[in-house]
Parts: sequence; structure tokens; C-alpha cells
Amino acid sequence: KKKEKEIWASKWPNLFGEYLGNSAGSEQASGPSTESYPRTVPDEHLLSLKFVFGSSAIQALDLVDRQSVTLVSSPSGRHVYQVLGSSGKTYTCLASCHYCSCPAFAFSVLRKSDSLLCKHLLAVYLSQVMRTCQQLSVSDKQLTDIILTEKKQEA
Amino acid sequence: MAEILRRVLSGSGAAGPGEENTAEAGPPLLLLGAPGSGKTTLLFAAALEVAGEGRGPVLFLTRRPLQSLPRRTEAGLDPLRLQKIRFQYPPSTRELLRLLCSAHESPGPTPSLLLLDGLEEYLAEEPGPQEAAYLAALLLDTAAHFSHRVGPGRDCGLVVALQTQEEADSGDALQLALLQRYFPAQCWLQPDTPGTRERCLRVCLEPGGLGPRAEWRVTFRPDGEMMITPWPTQTGDPSSEKGSSSGGQP
Repeated sequence: KKKEKEIWASKWPNLFGEYLGNSAGSEQASGPSTESYPRTVPDEHLLSLKFVFGSSAIQALDLVDRQSVTLVSSPSGRHVYQVLGSSGKTYTCLASCHYCSCPAFAFSVLRKSDSLLCKHLLAVYLSQVMRTCQQLSVSDKQLTDIILTEKKQEA
Repeated sequence: MAEILRRVLSGSGAAGPGEENTAEAGPPLLLLGAPGSGKTTLLFAAALEVAGEGRGPVLFLTRRPLQSLPRRTEAGLDPLRLQKIRFQYPPSTRELLRLLCSAHESPGPTPSLLLLDGLEEYLAEEPGPQEAAYLAALLLDTAAHFSHRVGPGRDCGLVVALQTQEEADSGDALQLALLQRYFPAQCWLQPDTPGTRERCLRVCLEPGGLGPRAEWRVTFRPDGEMMITPWPTQTGDPSSEKGSSSGGQP
């Protein structure tokens, strides 16, 4: 139970980094690294990802392959992830803690508690580790609108 | 954040800038208690504590101005400290969300502590689980951004006060469980020994996996002064964690 709470308080990228056996965890404090070569996930880890996350793992890897994850950052240093879902809708995932604006997160994770995350969050964490995020720079004002308007889509 | 409250409650106050106060802020903390249980007073004491550390200002978000400045036993109401507490009064959930989402746009010194009083009032406007999670996550994200801005080795702490109901229904329980996912550390304020003229509270601090749980007794004297003493017996019986009626023997 404590482990779960720690996970919610922003430990996911670190966990993934440790789990996949590279140093991705170290970039957590300073934001995403500028180093941009892609990494691959070894086969045995792919199997366990599938074991732990079920069909979400495949869908998330598919999103990563299609480069659907974008790291949006502003000069302030604040940043947020946007994931282009398979339906063509864009969802916002907060960078510092566990939140996605998609309906599956609201239903399966928050309301029913029968999954730990949605495919978009999993895709974000995977692409952090694999360093395959698209990068987008916006103004501080635009970043505010991105973080704020994602709410209205759901309302 | 539990460490700040621990210092406030232990009366080991900020000795001055530097020293051990540079320790990292720790996980975000949820301050829970019934109406009138002293949540605002404790939040304000935490604000004064951090304001005396020689770090950035304290950002105190609340729906309306405090009725009166809570009294403190020591020389807490130092004007220099008070000046470092920046109050903002978002009048609606929408305004609060706007403020948090645009926190990176505001110039000036980066806050070293983010406080929100009366989370329940903001949640009442938009009671769904996703809305609650969004607000909680944004609070964390804002504090994380402030931490990023102050640089390595220094964090912006986060303490949020939530009023609990005497008779919580299942909806309240769900909402609380959801918030606890985002706030690993909690501090419960429970009424104790009713019937006396002085208001007594049992304060239970659970620092979220980083240390032992600790308890204090807080007494508000009739003149409003707050007295804090360690809870007499550190039995720590986990069975009576919530029930306000179970703590019969002081």
C-alpha cells in the first residue's frame, strides 16, 4: 500500500528507469535530458510489461512507436506531456505526478481502481525511458492554456 | 512536509536560516480535521515556521481572508515573517485552477512552501473523481515546478487542509481515498476530551513512510492561545486510527 502511494507521488519514471536497467531515473530532477538517442526495451522486459499491464502495454508501445508522445515545455522550465490517442484526441499527462485527462484514467484508475494507469501514461513513462519523445517549445502563456484547457474537453 | 509540522508541533522552531532546515520538503501532506479543529491555525503556524527560514516566500491560498491572525505562544508574529507570507484568494475552483496552471508565468521569488486551506470548498463545486484528481495533481505539479525553479537541494513543500465530515458518507470516503493517493503524508486533527472549557485536540502525524507516526495534544485556551504538548502515552494503537469516539482515556 505504501508502495502504491509513493508511486502516485511521482516515482513512476524512476521505477521504470530502474526496472529497465538504465540511468533514466537520474534525469528526473532536471527535467528531460536533451540527450536524444533512442533506447530499446529488451525482449524479456517487454514480456513482463505485458504481464503486468495486459493489453495496455501493447497499446502503449504502439503509441510510442508512432511517436505519439510530445513533451511540451516553456521557457519557465515547466513541462507537460501530450499524447495523441488512437482516436485522434489529444490527452494531457502531467509530468510530475500521476494524472491523465483521458476517460480510461477517470474510470478504470480513479473510479474503479482496477488498473494502475492508462495506456497514455504508460506510453509517457516508456518514452521517457526510451527517449523517444517529440519535443515542442511553447510560450509560458501557451503552456498555461494547454494545462488548463485539457479540463474543458472532459466537462 | 511532515517535518515542518513536526517542528511546529514540537516547538523546536526555526533557529534561523540554514541549519538542518534545508532538508528536503518531503511528500505532500494532507491536513484533515472537522470544522473548527484548528487546521487553519496549524497551516498558519507552518507558514510562519517556513517564513523564518531565510528561504523564499510562502504562498498561502485560501478562499477568503483569515478572520484573525491565529495567536501563537512564542514570538511568532514577527512582521518580517508575516511579510513573507503571500495570501491569494481564488474565489472559485475555476480561478484556483487558473492560478495553479499559470503559476510558472508569475515573476518574482519562487515560493518555498505552497499552502491551500479549505480544499473541500473547491471540491464541492466540482465533486467528480476526475475533477478532484485534477486539482490534487495540479497542486503537486505546481509545487514540483516551484521545486524545479529553486534549484537542486531545495524543494517547495505542499500542505493542503481538507475539512472532514462528522458523518462521512461513501462518496466522501472515496474522495478521501483518492486524495490520499496524491498526498502520501497525512495529519489528522481529532477532538479530544469534550466537555471542558478548553478545546483539546489530538494531532496525529503520519509522515508517509519516512518515519514513525507521532502524536501531540493541542489545547486552545479560552483566550485563543494554542498550547502544544506531546501526547502522553505513545502507545500508537493502530485500531483507533479514525474513530473520534474511541479515544476515551486521555
